[in-house]
Amino acid sequence: MKRLVAIVEDEAAIRDNYAAAFSREGYAVRTYANRAQAMSAFAARLPDLAVIDISLQDEPEGGFELCRQLRALSAELPIIFLTARDSEIDAVSGLRLGADDFLTKDLSLPHLIARVNALFRRVEALRKPAGGAGELIRRGPLTLDAERMQAQWDGKVVLLSLTEFWMVHALARHPGHVRNRQQLMDAANVVLDDNTITSHVKRIRRKFQAVDPDFDAVQTVYGMGYRWVE
Amino acid sequence: MSLRLKLLLLGLATLVLPWAGCNYAREMESALRSGEQTSLQAVAQTIAASLQGRTDLLYREAPPTDAPADAPAEPLPAGAEPAVDPAANAAATAASPGTAAVAPQEPPPVATAPAGPYDLRPIALASAPLLDGYSEDWPRDPSAWAYFRKDARHHFGVLSGVSERMLYLLLEVHDEHPLFDAPGNNTLDPATFGDRVWIGFDDPEGQEHQLFLAATGPGAVTARRIDPGEYGQQTAVLEPRVHGAWQPTRDGYRIELRVPLSMLGGRFGVLVDDRDARGAVPVSYGTLRSDDLHTLGRLIVADPALGSYLTQFLQPGLKLAVTTPQRRVLARADALAQSTTLEAGTPLLARLYRRFVDRPGERQLLESDAPIYDRDHAKVIGRLEVTQTADRWIRLRDRALTRMLNFTVSTSLVAVIVMFAFAAWLALRLERLRRASESALTRSGIETRFPETEARDELGDVARGFSTLLSRLNEYTSYLRTLAGKLAHEIRTPLTIVRSSLDNLDAEQVPEAARIYLARARQGSERLNAILLAMGAATRVEEAIGSAERVNFDLVPVLASAIGAYRSAFAPRTFLVELPAGPVMLHGAPDLIVQMLDKLIDNAVDFSPAAGAITVRLLLLPEAAVIEVENPGPPLPPQLAGRLFESLWQSRADGDSRPHFGLGLYIVRLIAEFHGGTAAARNLPDGSGVRVSVRLAREP
Repeated sequence: MKRLVAIVEDEAAIRDNYAAAFSREGYAVRTYANRAQAMSAFAARLPDLAVIDISLQDEPEGGFELCRQLRALSAELPIIFLTARDSEIDAVSGLRLGADDFLTKDLSLPHLIARVNALFRRVEALRKPAGGAGELIRRGPLTLDAERMQAQWDGKVVLLSLTEFWMVHALARHPGHVRNRQQLMDAANVVLDDNTITSHVKRIRRKFQAVDPDFDAVQTVYGMGYRWVE
Repeated sequence: MSLRLKLLLLGLATLVLPWAGCNYAREMESALRSGEQTSLQAVAQTIAASLQGRTDLLYREAPPTDAPADAPAEPLPAGAEPAVDPAANAAATAASPGTAAVAPQEPPPVATAPAGPYDLRPIALASAPLLDGYSEDWPRDPSAWAYFRKDARHHFGVLSGVSERMLYLLLEVHDEHPLFDAPGNNTLDPATFGDRVWIGFDDPEGQEHQLFLAATGPGAVTARRIDPGEYGQQTAVLEPRVHGAWQPTRDGYRIELRVPLSMLGGRFGVLVDDRDARGAVPVSYGTLRSDDLHTLGRLIVADPALGSYLTQFLQPGLKLAVTTPQRRVLARADALAQSTTLEAGTPLLARLYRRFVDRPGERQLLESDAPIYDRDHAKVIGRLEVTQTADRWIRLRDRALTRMLNFTVSTSLVAVIVMFAFAAWLALRLERLRRASESALTRSGIETRFPETEARDELGDVARGFSTLLSRLNEYTSYLRTLAGKLAHEIRTPLTIVRSSLDNLDAEQVPEAARIYLARARQGSERLNAILLAMGAATRVEEAIGSAERVNFDLVPVLASAIGAYRSAFAPRTFLVELPAGPVMLHGAPDLIVQMLDKLIDNAVDFSPAAGAITVRLLLLPEAAVIEVENPGPPLPPQLAGRLFESLWQSRADGDSRPHFGLGLYIVRLIAEFHGGTAAARNLPDGSGVRVSVRLAREP
């Protein structure tokens, strides 16, 4: 059975392009132009994954509201935000809406599809019993499950977005090595500017500090980048 | 010319007030003067009226009932007038300016006292002459002389005058052989007779008297009367009331004589007995009949009481004179000199003002006269002349003038001061406006608050206009500032359509020949995407700075770490570092500091030759930490001064196709300002390069 991807996007051309790309990859695709359409359809049947634009027609932040409602229907449903402005990522971060990833529309379609595939892998991995061998990275209190794309600190789950997980993954794989911004972007399959990376790193620190206030493993090397210290 | 000066000049225009005041004062003066003239005329007429018919006072005679008929049998008209001194004549004319015609010849008789050839008309003497036989103390008035002539060898002149109830006579007798009496005891002895002079007169009762003057030498001379004795024996009795002096002259002799007016009636005459040898028969001529010494001529002289009569009308600064109709002065009372002089006691200011008002050469005397009529009001028997000094009206005018000028000058002064103050105030406000308009375009945007907008006058309108203009400009500027970000956002959607379409197209069956176009389209869209990123950069930086968290950190290791990174990133370029030994604690965002340093180094590298060493220096000042980045290279163009740190300022002339919006130094400025500091760029003193310095406020 084909996985069902829901695309909520008010710009018809983009919507149809995305739909075509996902269809080509073998997904079933439903497209919606606004929140009302999407919600009535979701009430009848939940998709397997939702790609949501933040601004929907006359609602500048309708995507956030839709995400909240969708999360209320299902806790596990993977949700990807697509934004026109990367500055919106910061706004989203404060909302803690439980989206699995935030992507800008600059992202190419192959990248987008790669992320969708990754999310589906994670969903499947989470459904399997834990403890897949060889895929775990342990760095002191940190445990990274590359299969499930899940991070744990002292045994507690730290909820990271896909981008954040891959950044942590890139840093923690070689502790002590400085990863510059370009390397982090490559690891996360995103194109971001310096300030956005800085704010991603800040958000990662904050999420770990929520679990352990003394967290100080992600260090800034001024002028170069970041490194993981144990 | 400054506004202040212009308004000051405008204020000077109020000086027209004192000028008008001066003119007004002149007009007032002439009005006063004509009023004074009128009242003077009234005074003259009043006094003249009081003297109407008083011939007894004027001429010491009862009003005549008929004209005197005793014309001389042998008229001896005045023929040998001495040459008239023109200057003296002019002076005489000037002395009586009101007179239309001062005829040298007596005009036909019009008054009660018609002129006879033998009449004696004494002038009013200002002072009594000394009886010494010399004429120096007599007035030099040729017209006052009367001449009597018998022939070329025998003639004499008489000058007569009245002073202090005395009649004075000055006799100039022409005599080729002056002869004194022989000294002797008996003045009646004919053998002793030399030249003798007789005077004959009526006493007030009409009785005729004769006195003779005989001198045995120069000097004082006595008058004697021949008294018929009881036995027919004549004696010469001394007349003690008459005094005289006898002096020989170059062509004859001179006699000065004083007779009390109380002795004299209406007639008076002089007879000269000219003898060429003692005891000889004399040649007698003069105004007495030579056979019986009867007085032929009249003495036309005012009563001494006339002077005191006039005196009762006298006031200081006034001169009264009674004249004959021919303007020969009969009596005068003079108090002109009694008027206080103008200069003394006049306030300095008034004297100063008078200088502006008085026209030079203006006469300071007022004159008026009125005819004195006889009892029947038919004939003019004399004239009353009144002269007044200008004192009184000048004093009045001075007082008014002083007050008015004080007032107008102080008004002008106040106006000038007020105008100057107003101008200064205006200039101050304008200066404030100018300064505000100059500083309105600040680095951090446009200052829309403007001074003077509360003012209700035109300056307030201007200020409000400026304020409105500035706030519109501010709106426009912020619109422009956000335009790039908005535009980037708006373009992003169609760009996404293009790029996603291209992505999809990749997956489709595309002829190989078309792939190249696909690749080009992708290249183009990537470039477009890069441009969009750059356009949004400023907004993103501002947002990032706005949301940055401040921590306390040591600047030294941050800089050291960053420079280490630059050394490897820009190898093999040389970086010289001067850092202080101790920690430099700041409160701020180290990430931003590094980002700022990135831009500074980027800039320094871009503008310096490849071999140039870049110096990074951290200076520690009490209140600030200063990061300096120096690079060798071309100096800053002067037109860039002050604009280097503005957004979107682009001055990179290379073939770099990378979109460049000159945001680097703008970000430097934003970050410096976030840290309470400033950024500045200037050329190195030796012109070898550029130094950018950033001040960061330190924690107190």
